[in-house]
Amino acid sequence: MLSENMTDVLLRVENLHVSVGDTPIIHGINLDIKRGEIHAIMGRNGSGKSTLANVIMGHPAYEITSGSVFYKGENINEMEVFERARAGMFLSFQYPAAIPGVQVGNFLRKSVASVQGEAPSPRAFRKSLNEAMNQLDMDKSFLSRYVNDGFSGGEKKRLEILQMLLLKPDMALLDETDSGLDIDALRIVAEGINAVAEETGCLIITHYQRLLDLIKPDIVHVLIDGKIVHSGGPELAMKLEREGYDWVDALA
Amino acid sequence: MTSYLDATVPSRSEHLWRYTPWSRVHPGSIDSVPKVDVASITSDDFYVSERPFQPLPTTDIARIFLNEVLENTTTVESNSKGGHIHIQTNGEISAAHLHLSCESSTHIVIHVKGDAQWFGLALTGDVNSNAQMSVGVINELSSETVLLRVDDWAIHRDALFEHATLSLGGQRNKSDIRSTLEGSNSSLKQYIAVHGHGSRHDDHHIEIHHQQPHTNSHLLLNAACDDRSHSIGTGALTIDDVAQHTDAGQVFRNLLLSPTSRAEAIPELEVMANEVSAAHGAASAPINPEQMHYLMSRGLSREEATSMMVEGFLIDSFTGLDSTLVRETIHHRLTSHLEQILME
Repeated sequence: MLSENMTDVLLRVENLHVSVGDTPIIHGINLDIKRGEIHAIMGRNGSGKSTLANVIMGHPAYEITSGSVFYKGENINEMEVFERARAGMFLSFQYPAAIPGVQVGNFLRKSVASVQGEAPSPRAFRKSLNEAMNQLDMDKSFLSRYVNDGFSGGEKKRLEILQMLLLKPDMALLDETDSGLDIDALRIVAEGINAVAEETGCLIITHYQRLLDLIKPDIVHVLIDGKIVHSGGPELAMKLEREGYDWVDALA
Repeated sequence: MTSYLDATVPSRSEHLWRYTPWSRVHPGSIDSVPKVDVASITSDDFYVSERPFQPLPTTDIARIFLNEVLENTTTVESNSKGGHIHIQTNGEISAAHLHLSCESSTHIVIHVKGDAQWFGLALTGDVNSNAQMSVGVINELSSETVLLRVDDWAIHRDALFEHATLSLGGQRNKSDIRSTLEGSNSSLKQYIAVHGHGSRHDDHHIEIHHQQPHTNSHLLLNAACDDRSHSIGTGALTIDDVAQHTDAGQVFRNLLLSPTSRAEAIPELEVMANEVSAAHGAASAPINPEQMHYLMSRGLSREEATSMMVEGFLIDSFTGLDSTLVRETIHHRLTSHLEQILME
């Protein structure tokens, strides 16, 4: 049964408990994200941030032991990963997998075709690809390289954002997209995220205030030991940057 | 020349015949020499000439057998150009001998097609001094065919030989591919990709013999095995005592796509020289779940993601290939093969 105001909410996480094997990681998270909202999740290493992103995207290694994830009003607990992608969900990975032998250009074309449900016309695909690559200041030689194979940390993150621009998701999960980026690259990537954020629900996982200087979150959540213990406005990220996490331990 | 009927049938204790005994690749009863039709060899790009049969070295039962059934040798002398050669099997039992020779630089793709029950293919060639030859062999035989392939390549002084094989067809294949680095400063780059599907049995035995100093060889065999298929890769690398300063490496990698597929990878080295670099490696693994998750998170179904990973894995075999013609032809053929399987 749908909860009240469900139709306004793009992504709803309801009392979510998650385990990996016998180890519980997430202990009852609740979260509502509406279209056009940017939520940021901050927390120490190992607090469950990436687990949350992965379980929302449907990673098979994580087991939902109780609770639910709703997307566009539908319970997606049993939905396959590729079905979530085709429904408009996107995860920018913290550590994107390398796929040797698969060229970036070919991968992007097939990915866009899968998500859109039909192969784009070569002209339309080339046009949107050129625009997105120009926006991210990416060289065309990227297209003939193998997906993430031998890429630097910054190149991997740019490729993630390039995919986001091409796939035009309704719900974007960005897992430490700022890690490995220098100052100029961070600015370019942030511009890419901002370009889609107006029409998209965004969940940004980050350790650093510097990304949130460039992408203004509506709500910041603090995750401690698999639970959201505190939420607030953008000022919360600045306070965490100044004071660390010790003061929120008491709230856990 | 040794008569086939006088030759000793090898036992399975021999490295070469351990996994695919001679009786499994002979076209009939092993104490017979059946009538063999001649396969056609054509090309729009090269001048193809027929000559009296040039015997193969009688070092093993397969070559001794082919010496008795082959009647002519088709020769292509290619210099400073690239193109395609088409070998089409004819009749139920068919065989062909193609000899390639290169004095300067050439790029050749050999397409092997047809639906013979049995096909015997002998490929020989000379990469002459200072020449550069790239040869790609694409096995597109019917899924019912038994293939017996023997290769003998001689690489002369300062020559570079690129040799690629894409094996997609045939029900039961036995390939014995031998290359000899006969001249100093000669190089061999050999790449093999095998797609095992259905109940294909594909056995590649690769012998590389370094006879002179300052020679290099690099072998990479990638096999992706699905269904009940079985891939075998055995290597025999020999470095003679005079072949100092040789640099040689062999790598066999298997991707297992189903619990009932099998793959063997057995590189063997015999090194008599003492100032050489010789390395070998073998690995077998199932699909990487993180790669699968990544591709599925981009909208690809499990089957589409698997197909893409198989394509990438097999294409990765040919990354070191310099010949654009050979590399792109192989890539194109592999892509259409996998798309066809995905649609079945």
